[in-house]
Amino acid sequence: MEIFAQSVTSGVLTGVLYAMIGIGLTVVFGVMRIINLAHGEMVMLGMFGAFWGQALWHLDPFVSLLLWAPLMFVAGTLLYRLLLRKILPGGELNTLLYTAGLSLLVANLALFLWSGDYRTISLSYGASPLRVLGVSVSVPLALAFGLALALTAGLWLFLARTDLGRAIRATSQNGEAALLMGIDVEKVAVITFGMGTALAGAAGVLLAPSLYLYPTVGELLIVKCFVVVVLGGLGSVPGAIAGGVLLGVVESLGAVYVSSAYKDGIGFVLFLLVLLYRPAGLFGVGK
Amino acid sequence: MTRQLAPWLAGALLLAAVPALVESPFAIHVCILVLMWTALGAAWNLLGGFAGQVSFGHASLFGVGAYTTIILYLRAGVAPWWGMPAGGLAAALVSLPVGLLCFRLRGPYFSLATLAVSELVKLVALNWESVTNGPVGYLITALPPLRLFGHAVDWESKTPFYVVAAALALAALAATALLRRARLGAYLVAIREDEEAAEAVGIDTVRAKVLTLALSAFVAGTAGGFYAFYFRYVDPDAVLGLSLSMEMVFIAVVGGLGTVGGPLVGAVFLTTVGEAVRERFPSGHLVFYGLFMMLVIRFLPEGIWGRARRLATGLQERALRHGAA
Repeated sequence: MEIFAQSVTSGVLTGVLYAMIGIGLTVVFGVMRIINLAHGEMVMLGMFGAFWGQALWHLDPFVSLLLWAPLMFVAGTLLYRLLLRKILPGGELNTLLYTAGLSLLVANLALFLWSGDYRTISLSYGASPLRVLGVSVSVPLALAFGLALALTAGLWLFLARTDLGRAIRATSQNGEAALLMGIDVEKVAVITFGMGTALAGAAGVLLAPSLYLYPTVGELLIVKCFVVVVLGGLGSVPGAIAGGVLLGVVESLGAVYVSSAYKDGIGFVLFLLVLLYRPAGLFGVGK
Repeated sequence: MTRQLAPWLAGALLLAAVPALVESPFAIHVCILVLMWTALGAAWNLLGGFAGQVSFGHASLFGVGAYTTIILYLRAGVAPWWGMPAGGLAAALVSLPVGLLCFRLRGPYFSLATLAVSELVKLVALNWESVTNGPVGYLITALPPLRLFGHAVDWESKTPFYVVAAALALAALAATALLRRARLGAYLVAIREDEEAAEAVGIDTVRAKVLTLALSAFVAGTAGGFYAFYFRYVDPDAVLGLSLSMEMVFIAVVGGLGTVGGPLVGAVFLTTVGEAVRERFPSGHLVFYGLFMMLVIRFLPEGIWGRARRLATGLQERALRHGAA
């Protein structure tokens, strides 16, 4: 029972971070119909941002979030304005291939600049785990969980309550109708892409103290991210949250009760099953 | 008829002349790589270019071929030149259930499913130690002796491998040309342009796609077998990485989707420039591939060969019009 509680807890903690990456991918897909294969590289850049922030300027990774999240937002808007916008009229497959190229470019440029070494971030408060109700939790992961939860809640409020948030949701539901209602769809697209990139980068910063860092980590993350958004239904934010937590829990239970070697495979099998039998997502809200 | 065969004969003659003209082993090595990638690009192009089904998982088929060839040789003593077609068959067999599963999905969903299948295959290769030797993989220390036309084949020279690679690439391109003229080829183009319409006129779309995938898998698996034979080394990262799948996609797209000559043009261009960059710094070729992919999608979405062909037909038509006037 204790093992069960332990693995559910760690599953939920990582799951919320998966969800955060997934939300970024899913809002971008919802508004622009871009499946961004370079999304994992954005997470990787966030992770390395946290690493270099600590290595060069002795910046605590969680503090450096204040620096990297806005920077990633700006990078995302530039990426969209300068590069992606011109590709969109070519159709979904062209953007898929284009972002595949971008992903390969960014990952290998990082490999060239920073070498393929596995790195870790060690924190003074990361050594001894916290014990809550008989379950032990690593402090950096708990901090990351808290911040991810706060960011996700903030995003939720933004989408639900503000005019811009409503405009994003409207564009996601029906781009043409939104345009006819006087929404500046182009502006919405730029902001959404910036937001998606910032979310991915922020998730990377938060994950950095709990994972190994290496330039091609995006490859693993992007596949997990697809699992998350497909579980929840492509284009749905609540779906991505549920999908992220579900994947986190299933993976950590699977590692304990099935096989730790095949932990990553459990997610893929789930992914294929959902794609085949519930292509709109487990909750039927996607499109 | 002669007009159609002429470029093939010229190509075969040119390929045959290369070992006599080129002396440096490195140059021959690059030629071998170009030919292997031509076959792989052509394999991907059968499905991605003609049927419009973008697979991100072709590395798994390549890997199944490579593992089959090397395991057959090291465990059962089957010579790699027999192991290569066996690898192709194994990949084609694996592709059948994968195709039946993934082809229920359309467009980007199909692409994502192939990505997941490919990651699963890699995971199995990493963990099924009794068969695949896990992350360590397999190494061939010595190739079996072979006598052809009274001479022992020298496995230390690159020429025999060049001949095999050239045959493989020619066969893959010929298969593409034949497919394009066959009924199946027309079915595939119909599926690519409008799958519902293709079904409405009575094409069994799933059957057509599964058959094409099996053919594509056979070529990719045989090329995987060749990889094991030539490099004598197979491990999960070397033959099952996502970047391998991406390279196949890029070669077909850069050359020109759905054309016969496209994969050859794409492979010549990407592999030679890629190898030149790799000389300067490792993994540099992948930076170049990614950058070039973005440029091609942005400025030349029909690919190098596709654009060249269109320009050529444009010129011909203009000449005809001037002739008539």
